[in-house]
Amino acid sequence: MAANMKAVKLRIKSVQSTMQITKAMELVASSKLRRAKERAENSRPYFEKIYSTLKDIANGNTDFSSVYAKGNLNTKPCFVLLAGDRGLAGGYNANVFKRFEELRKGQDCVVLPIGKKALEYVKRKQIPCLTETFAELANIKVSGCFDIAKMLCKAFKAGEIGSIELVYTKFISMLTQRPEGVPLLPLKDLVSEASDKTGNATEEVGKPRELILYEPSAEVVFERIVPEYLAGVIYGAICEAAASELAARRTAMESATGNAEEMLENLNLYYNRARQAGITQEITEIVGGAESI
Amino acid sequence: MKTFLLRIGTPDGLLFDGEVERVICRSITGDLAIMAGHINFCTAIGMGPAVVVLPDGTRREAACIGGMLTMMNGECSLMATTWEWKEDIDEERAGKSKERAEATLAQTGLTEQEYKLAEFRLKRALVRLDVKS
Repeated sequence: MAANMKAVKLRIKSVQSTMQITKAMELVASSKLRRAKERAENSRPYFEKIYSTLKDIANGNTDFSSVYAKGNLNTKPCFVLLAGDRGLAGGYNANVFKRFEELRKGQDCVVLPIGKKALEYVKRKQIPCLTETFAELANIKVSGCFDIAKMLCKAFKAGEIGSIELVYTKFISMLTQRPEGVPLLPLKDLVSEASDKTGNATEEVGKPRELILYEPSAEVVFERIVPEYLAGVIYGAICEAAASELAARRTAMESATGNAEEMLENLNLYYNRARQAGITQEITEIVGGAESI
Repeated sequence: MKTFLLRIGTPDGLLFDGEVERVICRSITGDLAIMAGHINFCTAIGMGPAVVVLPDGTRREAACIGGMLTMMNGECSLMATTWEWKEDIDEERAGKSKERAEATLAQTGLTEQEYKLAEFRLKRALVRLDVKS
């Protein structure tokens, strides 16, 4: 009995120290989350507006002089994969990767991983990387997004990649985050996406195309806007992904702390029962011994 | 005067959302002004001072660098890389940045990348100082 009690005591100690860690992580995540959420909410209007504007342009575009609009002959897609820098965030990273595999459909592709976990994942799967310079999500600022956009544009124009798609986790609320994939380039991909999603493609097609005046010409404007648009969207997605990661970690750590508490309760009960049994046995032995004298 | 809806956004947030009479900014081909009833329009923004004229006639000046301006169905959105209202510009910082960029440009043996970076920095600083003064 005594050996058993010792084992239980050790177990209680280990659960307690794990709980301490999970609790600390939960607190850290929730305090960081507040700032990340603010940042995501601030950048969201820009992110959404710039994407919807480009979508409008794509819908109304009749000018295919720019390579960004018509696409190139390559069919190899490039995925910008946004995942966390660290694990212990519940299903956060796994969900993004699952979504990525769904979108990839097993075809040949290139990936630009952002976040250490994303880099690890593509290395494990032996998917070719466009670059590994942006592996750390936390270090990327607006200027970093412009570097990414420039690099993507260069590869796209050179015909190394045929389309660009972004996979990230959208921050919906503290409790829900949804992994999403959005097509970025060529602009004609944005059109099909708009009609696919709403499901009423006929209505979209039936609508007259809006004519847009480009100053000085569509080609020059696209040349300038597209890198800007990519950078804006990627920055927005990074903000969303950072907030999602923290929210996912907070929820995961919250339930881990809850589980640890429950375990401790059970173990304490067991320990006390064993202790009581020990005492009772001792008393019985003493009484038995006294009687026999 | 007729007014139209203008939205000004940067990656750091939506800075302006409301009716305006006119917006003037510098595109890649030169200064342009947008007024209500403009045809659907799209251009890229260069670097330069920008002015927003509110319905009551007040002019708000700002330094606007990079981005795009679109007018779609009577709504104008100006998505800038940076947009600083005149009152928010840190003159001291811009001045220092200008000096630094000038010092960098004065050096010899710069790579093309470094040269371009310094040039952009100088241009940005000059726009800010120009708006502030």
